[in-house]
Amino acid sequence: MREYTVLAVVSVLLAILLDRRLRTRVLQKVEFWIAACVMIFFKIPSNGYLTGRPIVLYDPDHLMGVRLWTIPIEDFFYGFGLITFTIILWEYFLRRKGAL
Amino acid sequence: MRTEYLIVLGAILLFPLVLSFIMPLKLYARWRAMVLSMGLVCIPYWTWDAIVTARGHWSFNPSYVLGITFLGMPVEEWLFFIVITFVSIFTYEAVRFVVGRRTRQ
Repeated sequence: MREYTVLAVVSVLLAILLDRRLRTRVLQKVEFWIAACVMIFFKIPSNGYLTGRPIVLYDPDHLMGVRLWTIPIEDFFYGFGLITFTIILWEYFLRRKGAL
Repeated sequence: MRTEYLIVLGAILLFPLVLSFIMPLKLYARWRAMVLSMGLVCIPYWTWDAIVTARGHWSFNPSYVLGITFLGMPVEEWLFFIVITFVSIFTYEAVRFVVGRRTRQ
């Protein structure tokens, strides 16, 4: 089974659910999408280097095999999930600042 | 070169780290929220990564890592999540600062 494909997509879905659950509304903020675009832009050379050298080697059994340059498409979902979770929790804890 | 993965991490971190001190974002004043959000993301991602590295989803080229491993993952891979979560918070706050200043003008 293409486990990485499944897990990467699931991580994005979980991030969307967490944003709703915590009512952080990060996904509705234009600042979030600008920041996400900036990070995806810089992700291409760094992730490209990691996968092109290659420093990280992927098992073809666990992904679809679709790549942008050298980067598996799953890495874009994975990275988007990672930054989205971070910013959701950051917003959440900022809002609870008084409690910290 | 065995330092290459580490150099990539340094390259990702360099400008955000320097700019976080130059721009008046006052991230240091919110270090608790920062540690909590970074930690609560790193823990599940480290877990995910350690499990799937063991399952063989990906591996690390021994030519480009220092060779120090913990739970089957190179130390660089552990640092990766600390770097990316920090850069995410910095980038978001930098964008908020720039957009906020424009709308106030």
